[in-house]
Amino acid sequence: MSSATEQQPVKLSLPLKYQQEIFQELRQRDELVIIARGLGLLRLVTNLLHSYDAAGNNLILLVGADDRENGWIGEALAEHAAISKAPRARGLSVVNTDVMSVGTREKMYAQGGIFSITSRILVVDLLTSLLDPETITGLVVLHADKIVATSLEAFILRIYRQKNKVGFLKAFSDNPEPFTTGFAPLSTMMRNLFLRNVTLWPRFQVVVAQSLEGKKKAEVIELEVPMSESMRFIQNAIMECVEVSIAELKKSNSGMEMEDWNVDSALHKQFDMVIRRQLDPVWHRVSWKTKQIVNDLTVLRGMLHTLLTYDAVTFNRHLDTILAAHSPPPGSTKQNQSPWLFLDAAHTIFDTAKRRVYTGKALQAGAENIDALHPVLEEQPKWAVLAEVMEEIDRDLYFNPVLRDDSNGTILIMCTDTAQCRQLREYLQNMHVHTNKDEEEDEDEKSDHEPSAAFMMRRKLREYLIWKKDFSKISATLFAENQNALNGSSNQRAASGGSFRGKPPANKRRRVRGGGGVGSAPSRAANGSILAAEDKPLDVATLISEIQPTEVEAAQKEEIVADPLDDMEDYYHLYDTQDLVVVHAYDGDMDEHILEEIKPKYIIMYEPDTSFVRRIEVYRSSHNDRNVRVYFLYYGGSVEEQRYLSSVRREKDAFTKLIKEKATMSITLTTDAHGVEDPQEAFLRTINTRIAGGGRLAATAQPPRVVVDVREFRSSLPSLLHGRSMVIVPCMLTVGDYILSPNICVERKSIKDLISSFKDGRLYNQAETMLQYYKSPMLLIEFDQNKSFTLEPFADLSGSLSSMSSPNASSDLQSKLVLLTLAFPKLRIIWSSSPFQTAEIFESLKTQEAEPDPIAAVRVGLEGGQRAEDQTFNREPQDMLRVVPGVTGKNIKNLILDMGSLKDVANASVEELEPVVGKEAGRQIHRFFNKSVLEG
Amino acid sequence: QAIATRSSGSSILVSPRQKGNPILTNLRSFAWEYSDIPADYVLGLTTCALFLSLKYHRLHPEYIYNRIKSLQGKYNLRVLLTMVDIGNHEDSLRELSKTSLVNNVTVILCWSAAEAARYLELYKSFEHANASAIRGTESKGYAEKMVEFVTVPRSINKTDAVSLVSAFSSIRAAVNARPEEIAVVGGWGEKKVRRWCGVVDEPFRVRK
Repeated sequence: MSSATEQQPVKLSLPLKYQQEIFQELRQRDELVIIARGLGLLRLVTNLLHSYDAAGNNLILLVGADDRENGWIGEALAEHAAISKAPRARGLSVVNTDVMSVGTREKMYAQGGIFSITSRILVVDLLTSLLDPETITGLVVLHADKIVATSLEAFILRIYRQKNKVGFLKAFSDNPEPFTTGFAPLSTMMRNLFLRNVTLWPRFQVVVAQSLEGKKKAEVIELEVPMSESMRFIQNAIMECVEVSIAELKKSNSGMEMEDWNVDSALHKQFDMVIRRQLDPVWHRVSWKTKQIVNDLTVLRGMLHTLLTYDAVTFNRHLDTILAAHSPPPGSTKQNQSPWLFLDAAHTIFDTAKRRVYTGKALQAGAENIDALHPVLEEQPKWAVLAEVMEEIDRDLYFNPVLRDDSNGTILIMCTDTAQCRQLREYLQNMHVHTNKDEEEDEDEKSDHEPSAAFMMRRKLREYLIWKKDFSKISATLFAENQNALNGSSNQRAASGGSFRGKPPANKRRRVRGGGGVGSAPSRAANGSILAAEDKPLDVATLISEIQPTEVEAAQKEEIVADPLDDMEDYYHLYDTQDLVVVHAYDGDMDEHILEEIKPKYIIMYEPDTSFVRRIEVYRSSHNDRNVRVYFLYYGGSVEEQRYLSSVRREKDAFTKLIKEKATMSITLTTDAHGVEDPQEAFLRTINTRIAGGGRLAATAQPPRVVVDVREFRSSLPSLLHGRSMVIVPCMLTVGDYILSPNICVERKSIKDLISSFKDGRLYNQAETMLQYYKSPMLLIEFDQNKSFTLEPFADLSGSLSSMSSPNASSDLQSKLVLLTLAFPKLRIIWSSSPFQTAEIFESLKTQEAEPDPIAAVRVGLEGGQRAEDQTFNREPQDMLRVVPGVTGKNIKNLILDMGSLKDVANASVEELEPVVGKEAGRQIHRFFNKSVLEG
Repeated sequence: QAIATRSSGSSILVSPRQKGNPILTNLRSFAWEYSDIPADYVLGLTTCALFLSLKYHRLHPEYIYNRIKSLQGKYNLRVLLTMVDIGNHEDSLRELSKTSLVNNVTVILCWSAAEAARYLELYKSFEHANASAIRGTESKGYAEKMVEFVTVPRSINKTDAVSLVSAFSSIRAAVNARPEEIAVVGGWGEKKVRRWCGVVDEPFRVRK
């Protein structure tokens, strides 16, 4: 499979024509490659990297790769190196946060090779000249679609191009959609990337189409599976809920542009993300209710997906959890509940989902009306189809036992996630186990070929019922606290005093109402929202007895949930690849590996996936001697089908737009990275901008300097400061984010940060320490570029804001700001409408001030014996720790230094915690982690 | 208007200069009275406020400096209540940021008269309040804390938190659970499982 460049002794694995063409182009010039998903982007990248790697003696950086891509590229490079026996190939070295010290990094860079470096580290290394930009041979950028002007990657490219004009720069993307929004998106992107050429490779490109649609086409059988009636009911009901939620959103945010907020767009994969993105600019201003509805939309979208993938029992269980999480404490008013829960459609969802699992059957026994429950256990329609397909494949294998080609007889089943994999695996294992022994004896061996999921479903139902018993207790303990608190304050009725501990009063009310004949259907709370249905214990008992495991069932071994590798030695042996059935989840580019390794003859796509279809095409066309038969399953008229079709359409539209823009795109040659830098600008760069008008001649030796905390490189501000020709000194700061002068220390907060750090008290502590060490501490409140520059909520809230008596008077942002300034009169507040403006403000603040000293800035706030290197923290675990009761702004430092991770804190005993945080706090922390929701 | 300057503790003192300012009509929750004071508003023994509309500031840039000067270094907290009533506010705000640093005033922005009035009322009402509301020491129930704790990593929502803890019965067990065990919980897809397990195991400190 070697081909391509003849001059080189490098072996490449690019069998298809379009792949070779792209490769040739890439070797010749710098460009941006936008390719359709599934056409083997990573394969291209690795081959390109290998061709440089084999030559040796270079320093190539891979920017923007995530962990999995690093893994893939590293493996592939090693493989290539082995195949082409290139002595000078070094493979890929990954540099990320937790391993490398500064010293080792420096040594590694000196050695050269191919590096994949986390952007945050790379930018710091470039700025501190640990990695000299001039020594870099070239840069390869993945996920080019994510690079915007203010991103870290764009900053990296700018530093690189400023100092290095000769190194190569190649960018890749397999996601064309982001390139089509906004004004002249492609040319903007090209400017950000410092590139002048772009090449587009959609699926309908001539060369691509020729390569994939030759004689060696894969055999595809499409199977449209109808949804069951109840599934369709539920889906329609969910869509109705979505529609109402969207209407509600429109009503309460009348100022927004919302033409495309409709149910049609709700069919798309991420309609909730679209709405969220649209609301994002005003997110800090929208009402609490709007936020809730947006969250509801995410939940509803999840439901659309789980309806198709989960089995009936699991789906019902999932709904129970959703309901419990959304049920408000009783006593609260209608206003603060999710609106969709009030709909009849919501009732339909919960009711139908339950009836798919079991129903109540009225048995007339004298005067008493006893509801007996019996299991229904509806199966997913796709299961039966899957069983049929498997049988057909069996027959096919039986009649054509001799393999005509290179592929194995393996059957590969692809589905969306691991949960789905597990479900299918279990189904395939148990589909011929019958629940009733007599039945089996009656029937012939032949006719018992009727596959059924009854065994699996019965087991699930048993589990569900056990879980349900616990869960009602759990939700009682979880939400009883609120209820007790509320009852204590609002209705001090004698009856619901202390006697109801652990059993919320609501339960009682519910039971009384439920007795009226509602049966097993979910009932409505007093205020009209849905309450979780409570089945009578007796009914549940009958249901349990009905699904007790039969003998046959008991004979089956339990499914192992935990890692089966625990006792690997006992079970491990090589399977014959001829008759394997492999169930796998879609996994992006990793799927290529699966295909190559398994060499399946039959592929069942349990769910549609555009890129996997292409991967099969690529796989099939790359191998002359392997036949593939693909079964393609989808639910007709379902969201799944719609999504598949729309994703195909959107990609095609995106490419069409890109092709149009490329044809008319103008390239400004002056901003060309290779061009000569304006000499005057170069001169100005050395001038200290603090000398105002006429000061040009008095260029000082020292350019303006800002000390920046390394954690701040997540934001775009350092990049913009650099753009305003200030010298950025990345340091590990304990106090403050930006040090502008020996006196001025700035703590930057975006609106989101501001809200959260007010909530957990972090800002208070930060202000305290800044005041301790700096003369002029400043709080920078930075709004986003595209977000509205105001704190005022939308009109629907302002009425309640002006009245001081409202309960949220002390909870909103304004009042917290007031408290902060009252507590720290010396703290100055900078308001900035965007990072761009912040950069200008910093510039003006720095005039007439001395330059900051990085070493002094680092030392500030460190207690004796602490070193700056100890101060790098991971943010998320800390944020979580801060929520734990008992953890305060003061003792969190000790916890972090003395305990390794959250896991350690969770497992620590009171005795272990006591020396670190003190007795009371230790007890609180211990209680928080060990409280069992089962006991209540 | 010669009104005797009583240091009336419960009302906001307003300078007669502010007559006609729409803020005053929005100032409803607190009593206010005219008084002969150097600042525009006195909101407590050590707190005062100057009001500035950016529109006016653009026409008379020197005005605010004279007013600050007339305060003569009095008052501990000097708020510069700035109304943003123009579109291109960038230059003025940059200048004010610099001023706040040089002249020891605290800039607070507002976007309407109602909001400005609300700030004044808030300053007055919190005159003697302590800062506990912003020190993160509010007490909350277990369920709320639990949900808050579990939902810190992105993409994990409230439903997931409830299902996770109910599956493992305590947070400690959930923290110690293996990825395969969590993956069985409804609603927990691979991404969430990976994120959760990553965060829980991640060391607080980056080792170098």
